[in-house]
Amino acid sequence: MNSLATIENGLQAAILVDASASDLLAGAAQRSARGLDVYRAAYRARLTAALRDNFPVLLRALGDDAFAALASAYIDAHPSRQRSIRWFGDSLVDDLSRTSEPLPHPALVDLARMDWAMRAAFDAADAPCLTRHELIALAPEEWPNRRYRLVPSLQMVDLEWRVEPVWHALNNDPGVATEAPQRLAHTLLVWRRKLDCLWRSADNREGAALRALADGATFAECCSLLAEDGDAAAVHSVVAVLGQWLDEGLLARD
Amino acid sequence: MSEAIAGFGLGLRTDHYGDFIAARQPVDWLEIISENYMVAGGKPLHFVEQIRRDYPMVMHGVSLSIGSLDALDPAYLGQLKALVERLEPAWVSDHLCWTGVAGVNLHDLLPLPYTAEALRHLTARVDQVQEFLRRRLVLENVSSYVSFTADEMSEWEFIGQLVARTDCQLLLDINNVYVSSINHGFDARTFIDAIPPAAVRQIHLAGHETHPDILIDTHDQPVCQAVWDLYAYALRRIGAVPTMIERDDNIPPLALLIGELACARELAERSLGQRELAR
Ligand SMILES: [Fe+2]
Repeated sequence: MNSLATIENGLQAAILVDASASDLLAGAAQRSARGLDVYRAAYRARLTAALRDNFPVLLRALGDDAFAALASAYIDAHPSRQRSIRWFGDSLVDDLSRTSEPLPHPALVDLARMDWAMRAAFDAADAPCLTRHELIALAPEEWPNRRYRLVPSLQMVDLEWRVEPVWHALNNDPGVATEAPQRLAHTLLVWRRKLDCLWRSADNREGAALRALADGATFAECCSLLAEDGDAAAVHSVVAVLGQWLDEGLLARD
Repeated sequence: MSEAIAGFGLGLRTDHYGDFIAARQPVDWLEIISENYMVAGGKPLHFVEQIRRDYPMVMHGVSLSIGSLDALDPAYLGQLKALVERLEPAWVSDHLCWTGVAGVNLHDLLPLPYTAEALRHLTARVDQVQEFLRRRLVLENVSSYVSFTADEMSEWEFIGQLVARTDCQLLLDINNVYVSSINHGFDARTFIDAIPPAAVRQIHLAGHETHPDILIDTHDQPVCQAVWDLYAYALRRIGAVPTMIERDDNIPPLALLIGELACARELAERSLGQRELAR
């Protein structure tokens, strides 16, 4: 008689790769094949729905049919190993950026990156923001060596294309006509303030400065990344950028 | 904080967060899908904690995979326990099924063979989970679309033996009993008759999809008459049990579900009489 191991591995293979399970299943052949088809269809439908949830704007950009084809190939290539279906699709961006089959437009990879980052910000850990008020007490000599913590939801995402206007337009209106994005290497910032997921485009220099802070750099080290030229105007810009980070809620209270 | 649960509840869905926050709803308690709140922060935890202040809750998981041959996932159990400590539900349930093996997760509630070997495996696993959570686990019968040549007993005998061995409790899904009875050709009342009544902690009602050759458990439409009839039959046999309606797809306005829940109340009153209900 079939062991539990034979049954679990056999039924799983039947669902994943359409292997035959006729020696495991009871009842008339036609009946058990119909039952098996329910599991097969439900499996693909559920994982496709998870991808649609996780990549809502990529879905709108590609359209239902092209997205379904993409989802189907992804499901075949990456059986889920996640405990929660919430994270299904974690390799989609990697797949798209490595794929030999050309996408309709190379910037679609960046749209997928933005979708995934927005989804990650949605349920990232909460953290109170650092405020300007809390920095007032800081003595002038303490400024250079102070380190900052970023809010846990903040992600610095490297993009090759200026996809934000397209993402924004399609996110607001699925049917809107969009223009092809321009090529522009930059950094997308995505984070959450209270319950709202936010994003902003930044240049690579600001992205590098935030990454340095995340890695434990001091404010002085961060300044040198922001103001490579070292002129007086640059110092002003550094202070302005810090103020902006505080106002936007990018920095966490220690 | 973990108050007693009685009466009629609903599954909490994101579509209805606003309704539950805006006004007190005529719903005695709520069931949440545990995995939806096993996240670091943001809206899910914010809203569930806010709603928890006003409603007793139970937690219902879909990923324990109690029947899988893979080892229980300690990270999952740890997160589950953390959520239990945060929300203090009256009980924690999952399904009598497996969701994948060899590290893969099919994210579905797959049927187990009803064999002595499966029973031994489940007994050890249920013991392990109950010990870890320090509470009795509540397990739900699933709908199934295939059965195995290896089966050595019926589903109801299997469930009865598991309860006897582990002292776990049952979430009796009336719709699942009905769907499986049609798909496998048994009398649903035989299933209900065989279930140890004292072990039934909760009842699920739901809708399914009817095809000429098979019923599919979709939770996307109202409870059908055959399931109402089976519910009345179960109540007469088991007595008053906290009952809720599950709706996971094609989700209607909350008022519609509350209307459907009123049907469950009425039917329970008719089947049991007021005195039994108040018990
Ligand atoms: Fe159920």
